[in-house]
Amino acid sequence: MASLIACPHCGPRPKEEFTIRGDAGITRPTPDAGEDAWYAYVYLRDNPRGRHKEHWHHTSGCRRWLVVERDTMTHAIYAVSDASAPGETA
Amino acid sequence: MVDFTLPHRPALADAKSGSFGAPATGNRIMLAALPEGHVLQVLGSKGSAGLEDLIRQIGGGNPNAVRAYSPGQWFVVGDAALSPADISGKAALLSGKASIADQSHGRVRIGISGTAVETVLAKGTAVDLHRAKFPVGHTAMTLIGHISALVTRTGENGFEILVLRGFAESLWDELIQMSLEFGVDATVNH
Ligand SMILES: [Zn+2]
Repeated sequence: MASLIACPHCGPRPKEEFTIRGDAGITRPTPDAGEDAWYAYVYLRDNPRGRHKEHWHHTSGCRRWLVVERDTMTHAIYAVSDASAPGETA
Repeated sequence: MVDFTLPHRPALADAKSGSFGAPATGNRIMLAALPEGHVLQVLGSKGSAGLEDLIRQIGGGNPNAVRAYSPGQWFVVGDAALSPADISGKAALLSGKASIADQSHGRVRIGISGTAVETVLAKGTAVDLHRAKFPVGHTAMTLIGHISALVTRTGENGFEILVLRGFAESLWDELIQMSLEFGVDATVNH
């Protein structure tokens, strides 16, 4: 597990300050997308080896949702950004 | 109509006070329960930016009164107790660009100072507290051990810690523990 996450708002912080939600690459289906699409959205996840984008919440810091791109094998962190679209940050 | 009164009791009224740890006088730590005046959380409305000057007005221009801890979110603190009228007066200054949530009852300030203060706090948080990275006026929301705390540098050798009221005494005891190697004088008079 990566141990230092460079929060774009707070600077480098230990992983203990964060809560991990999971894959940042999946998109919510439309309400009428059907049972298979919803089943996949709610339950099915890849278990990638290598680069992976995840949603991390800086729970004990700025409390912003972030997108952390990391390597699940080497623990390297490639990029950390705010999860909101540019300009959306209040 | 008020059926009964709710007397205000400072969160650290019964916390332990006095001198603890090493008897040396060189770089003792001073721990102080600060006045429970006001703690206002200011939240910027969606899409608002460049509110810093406005938020400084809410702090009345007092140095270190405004503590930015997240995009569009600040704590404004001070020693004076504010009436609901005082607070709505401040809210009016924001003219809808941000709102104020009064947290005066819920969060407590602790002052910690001494030449070794960075070494003491570094036992509890991973935030880089060096003066070059954490100058006077800088604030960070972080964990001290397992307790969530807002840390602000208020002087060359001094910090203030804003903590949830229910965790204040626990954090107080931990700060004394963390300071023992230097010796610590803890004061809770209100
Ligand atoms: Zn953060």
